[in-house]
Amino acid sequence: MFRRQFVTLTAAAAALCAMPVLAGQPGTQYKVLDNPLPVPAGTLVKIYSYDCPFCFRYDTGVDPRILPRIQKEAGLKFMPMHLESRGQYGRTASEFLAMCMLRDEKAGISIEDEASAFKRAMDAVYFAYHRKAERWTSGEAAFIKTMADASGISAEQFEKARRSPEVVRLADSWKAAYPAARIQGIPAYVVNGKYLIMTRSIQGVNGMVELIKELALMK
Amino acid sequence: MSWTERFRSSPLETVSRWSDMRWPWVLIIALSCSLVLVAHYVFQVWLHMKPCEQCVYIRFAFLVIALGALIACIAPRNLWVKLAAAAVSLCGCVYGAMCSLRLNRIHQAVRSDSLDDLFGIQGCSTEPHYPFGLPLEKWAPDWFMPTGDCGYDLAVVPDGMKLSAMQEWLIGLYNSSDGWYLVPSLKFMNMAQCCLLAFIVAALMVLVLACAALRARFRSC
Repeated sequence: MFRRQFVTLTAAAAALCAMPVLAGQPGTQYKVLDNPLPVPAGTLVKIYSYDCPFCFRYDTGVDPRILPRIQKEAGLKFMPMHLESRGQYGRTASEFLAMCMLRDEKAGISIEDEASAFKRAMDAVYFAYHRKAERWTSGEAAFIKTMADASGISAEQFEKARRSPEVVRLADSWKAAYPAARIQGIPAYVVNGKYLIMTRSIQGVNGMVELIKELALMK
Repeated sequence: MSWTERFRSSPLETVSRWSDMRWPWVLIIALSCSLVLVAHYVFQVWLHMKPCEQCVYIRFAFLVIALGALIACIAPRNLWVKLAAAAVSLCGCVYGAMCSLRLNRIHQAVRSDSLDDLFGIQGCSTEPHYPFGLPLEKWAPDWFMPTGDCGYDLAVVPDGMKLSAMQEWLIGLYNSSDGWYLVPSLKFMNMAQCCLLAFIVAALMVLVLACAALRARFRSC
């Protein structure tokens, strides 16, 4: 009697556990955002933070391989959006990077160019954090110095620029990326502001490029 | 006859008898809770190693194991109570093992030069997501809010903090080894692998107790 009861209960529990597997899992490669990012069409947004180990690894290993291809083959513009809600100096980093981006744009230099202020500042803070384990425990001034020394923009110039309406506007605009970042963490790649790539589904550089190209063509 | 002689002469009956007692379940509670206490007070507070996302999930898993064992303590002679307790504890073991495996992959990925290690896993979440939507990070942020980086076990000492000689030595040891290891000089067994081993041991203990209890019941039918 007990044996029969036990076997029946076990079978029922197993069936219950199996149901989600049998039901299927749509949207494993990408997700359509309920609230698209306020960015122009033809963009590949990367949501990231200076203190994120995966963001650093993607920046050094994956982005140099995919960005030239998606720009050439899909005609997408790369648009990084720094997440200020992470990291002790998240907002400071956003303001500094926004300032660098605007300067590079005025000078006609691409932010992916090694000579750009944006790339130099970002690389400096990435390497300091992830390779040298720097945490700037002495305060914000030390953090600013890292980015200032690398970009060639002094801390005084930054202090002036960070309060300018353009820098504030650009840094504030990146806050819109937070809901998308919450979905599956960072780095988060979003095509045309609408299609969030599920990074765990990415199996290789070619696969990622092909997926981006496919999403770029979707309405 | 001493308990060792009894165990040697009839191990299955002895374990069945043990499963009817409280002490094996209390032992599981004690071990699970100890690991969580060590993680918080020793690693997080004393050695300034902030917990990452998977680390706080692993803490939750150990507490689920302890909860299951606590259920068994209510009525250890009752088979259904023991089975329910074992089911809860085993869920904790499985969940914890999955988080440990994920953490181990993250640990390898952030240290590897190969891009292949980077693909197929998710990055760092901005907020923790506990089972059943439990807002543990709001109820007990000191214990369940991830404040560390995923994949790094770096000790970050606040500026101006005075450390004891032992703290300095241990922090220096782990930071120079690029993370916490059971044997830092050999980089043998990282935190994730140690946690996985703990979950396997816990699962075995629970399974042995549950199976011994079932066996005793089947034999008496």
